[in-house]
Amino acid sequence: MGAAETDGVSYERLIAVARAADASLTRRRFLQVGGLSVVALSALGPWLAAEAAPPVLVLPQAKGLVLADPTKCVGCRRCELACTEFNDGKAAPSMARIKIARNMNFGPRGAFLGREGQGTWGNGLVVQDVCRQCADAACAAACPVQAISAKSPANARVVDETKCVGCRTCVSACPFRMMAFDEEIGRATKCTLCDGTPKCVDACPAAALRYVAWREISGTSGLGPRPVERRDA
Amino acid sequence: MATVGGWAGKVLRVDLSTGRTRTDDTIERYRDVIGGTGLGYAVLWDEVAAGTRPYDAGNKVIFGVGPLAGTGAPCNGRTAITTLWPTCWPTPLVGTGHMGGQFAAELKYAGYDGLVIEGKADRPVWLSISDDRVEILDAHEFWGQGIRRTAVEISQRLGAEAAVAAIGQAGENLVPLSVVMTGYSHSAGGVGSVLGGKNLKAIGVRGTGRLRIAGSTAEWERVVKRHLSLLGANNQHVVPDSPQPWAEFYDPGSRWKAAPGRQWGAASVPVDTGSCDPKDLNRIAYRTNNAVHYLGDIAWKYTVRGNGCTGCPVRCHTMIRVPAAAAKYGIPEMGQNTCGGLNFGRSFFKEFPDGPRGQTAVEACMVGMHLADDLGLWCNYSQLQRDFKKLYYDGTIRTKLSAGEFKGYAWSTYEKGDPAFLFDLLPRLARREGELGLAMGLGTGGLLDRWGLSETEWAADHELQYWKMGHPKHHANEDAGQCGVILNTQYNRDAQCHSHANFTRNGLPLAVQKQIAAEVWGSPDAVDAVQAYTPMNVAKARMAKWSLLRKELHDSMSLCNWMGPWIASPLKERGYRGDDSIESLLYSLVTGDKKSREELDLAAERIFLLHRALTIRDMGTKEMRARHDTIPQWVFKDGAGKPAFSKGTIRMGEADIAIAMDLFYREMGWDTVTGAPTRAAYERAGLAHVAQALGEKGLLP
Repeated sequence: MGAAETDGVSYERLIAVARAADASLTRRRFLQVGGLSVVALSALGPWLAAEAAPPVLVLPQAKGLVLADPTKCVGCRRCELACTEFNDGKAAPSMARIKIARNMNFGPRGAFLGREGQGTWGNGLVVQDVCRQCADAACAAACPVQAISAKSPANARVVDETKCVGCRTCVSACPFRMMAFDEEIGRATKCTLCDGTPKCVDACPAAALRYVAWREISGTSGLGPRPVERRDA
Repeated sequence: MATVGGWAGKVLRVDLSTGRTRTDDTIERYRDVIGGTGLGYAVLWDEVAAGTRPYDAGNKVIFGVGPLAGTGAPCNGRTAITTLWPTCWPTPLVGTGHMGGQFAAELKYAGYDGLVIEGKADRPVWLSISDDRVEILDAHEFWGQGIRRTAVEISQRLGAEAAVAAIGQAGENLVPLSVVMTGYSHSAGGVGSVLGGKNLKAIGVRGTGRLRIAGSTAEWERVVKRHLSLLGANNQHVVPDSPQPWAEFYDPGSRWKAAPGRQWGAASVPVDTGSCDPKDLNRIAYRTNNAVHYLGDIAWKYTVRGNGCTGCPVRCHTMIRVPAAAAKYGIPEMGQNTCGGLNFGRSFFKEFPDGPRGQTAVEACMVGMHLADDLGLWCNYSQLQRDFKKLYYDGTIRTKLSAGEFKGYAWSTYEKGDPAFLFDLLPRLARREGELGLAMGLGTGGLLDRWGLSETEWAADHELQYWKMGHPKHHANEDAGQCGVILNTQYNRDAQCHSHANFTRNGLPLAVQKQIAAEVWGSPDAVDAVQAYTPMNVAKARMAKWSLLRKELHDSMSLCNWMGPWIASPLKERGYRGDDSIESLLYSLVTGDKKSREELDLAAERIFLLHRALTIRDMGTKEMRARHDTIPQWVFKDGAGKPAFSKGTIRMGEADIAIAMDLFYREMGWDTVTGAPTRAAYERAGLAHVAQALGEKGLLP
């Protein structure tokens, strides 16, 4: 399963459908075609760049999403470890597809000395960073070899290791810094939703993670990725 | 060693005298001692000569972790730190401190199973480890600063994910009662001043590497889940403290505090801890609340959440948020720690105006944590506070201080139970300021020497809980009768062994405990009801040996002995049995080095024999039974005059304890007259070279 075939629908066929629907598509413009999320592709290669209309990438909507509740996170990192141990056979939080450690000590704003902030050194809140399985998947759009596509059964956006060339363009492209890179094999990697049974959710000892039906949480729906902190005046 | 998993593969050595760093191959040199304390004892035995003092450049500090550190094996977050112990009195001997947090995992991800600090820097330095980039850097800007500022500034350089272990002013000033601390609240007592003596302010570690799991992924997942299913709450309390719909038993003394309606009240949105059926592995983190365990129900409204070590679902460090303490004392509103650290400030006071579990007690905890965990002070398992209370209320402090110095303390505040007194006292301890500040920071042994006090008096006073060699009891006869006594004789500081107490205090009915005891130690008579003890027997000696070996095994593999072993579980369908082979399953799968339970126990025996050999070598005597394995007189007394083996007393009988020691030495294969291991005992554990060295000095029985 690769970019050329997603959920039984050929890649070329979806591009053609999208073009027919709107010849004036611009990059990242969102379309719904036959129940599928359709996004413009930023880099499909020189042969597409020459076309009059920008190419589009069609990804079936992900079926699920890992939803995290920071209030319940206890910072144990069992989700990070489950992600890489039970999928890759190694303990490697630096390539975990759910990211706890980077917010765990001080919160998203980094190391501070004072009384404001999150994490162990702040108010205790640990924001778990998870892949949004974006409709408009910047990682997939950025990949120069179409190695990232939706994979059934969960339609998670998944890196095809046989296609990935290890250029890390996707790592740079993800606005949420959710791509990971397996240094041992020189390939990008990302959340696969473990084909619908996420190991991280299963591993959380505080039920702070849930696997739920997909919804837009990438910041455009009004449901932002960061919780609003409760601070007393 | 491409096929070996678990271990990172290298032990990093840093010579502060020369500035040179190098690595050893872990597997080649240290596989037989696994890691952790095993690594520490092996390095001291091989490389630190008898007669070396804690602050000598020749002393070494070994930060050891094991093959499970940094993996998903539950409860793997502790780093064992081994060195010549500065509060071991009158002769400094080998000792270990243990800190949790993220340091162990981060060291592994950086590529190291251990860190050996050698020599002494000629100026304040800190050690920066970022994967294979190791640098000794100038620390002038941190010297004189507290642990908090140091750790944050290093995190700003190495990254917010770095693990930083730092000493405070107490360690810099060579206060023997000082810690090295990591991750805001995780400290290893006793080590701070040894690092201070080496001019090493801090170690910052950032690791981005990986650890291989040698076994199959599916099998590893199965074993990890099996281990998770056996976990109780903190200290392996396997029943809740209150009746729950799923629970057949409950025990008010349990640290399993979760229940419907009990909430983390200070979380961003209050979180109900709920019923926590043990089969629900997604609720393990709600079970324990150590703030509530020590401070009572008042702590629920202040609880933000549980915190703890890498990969541990138990979360024994409870985070509390107390705005009133922040407003009153000008301290952060957040505090977190467990056990002695949580109670550091509170334990100084005899009483509080609103009782032992009121608001003032909470505030004393907050002030104590704020000060001690920044200054880097160690409580010596609360012996510091017990000594202080005794010496104040019996008038000794008044007689030992000059009138001017005595007046310099606000004693009326102290007597009233006002936590503000801690601002008066604790900074002076860290600065060794005045006679009181200097004497109290020495540890009990140094204090007795300095003030001409009698150890006999300490050893006779049950309230003081003093055991020997400058240190208190740690889970002794109050928790496990003769087994607890035996274990408290074996170490050179407080014993820190939880194997036995985590079983006897697990909350299960005695009949169930006896069933499990019969299976593990060969007789139901290995265990008694607490405070209804029976005379010594062989099964109790087997339990003592097992407890000792599992402690060393855990400390070497990087499993938390504050949680293990796991021979009991909360699972009714298993008859509340755990799995005595879980360590073997985890070790074999993660490393690929298949070892049975018995083989690992032999490795643990090897490790403890190194501790015993170091103790014998450095004391210069084989007369362990008479001169080392001593028992304080309070063990043989009862305030109400109750005889030993009657209900309601922890009093032991002297003749019975003599039998207990005989049986224990026999179980260990040691000489019963001297208490020293025999040549055969060393050789059986693969330590013929140790026996040879001791034999040449006349230190074999």
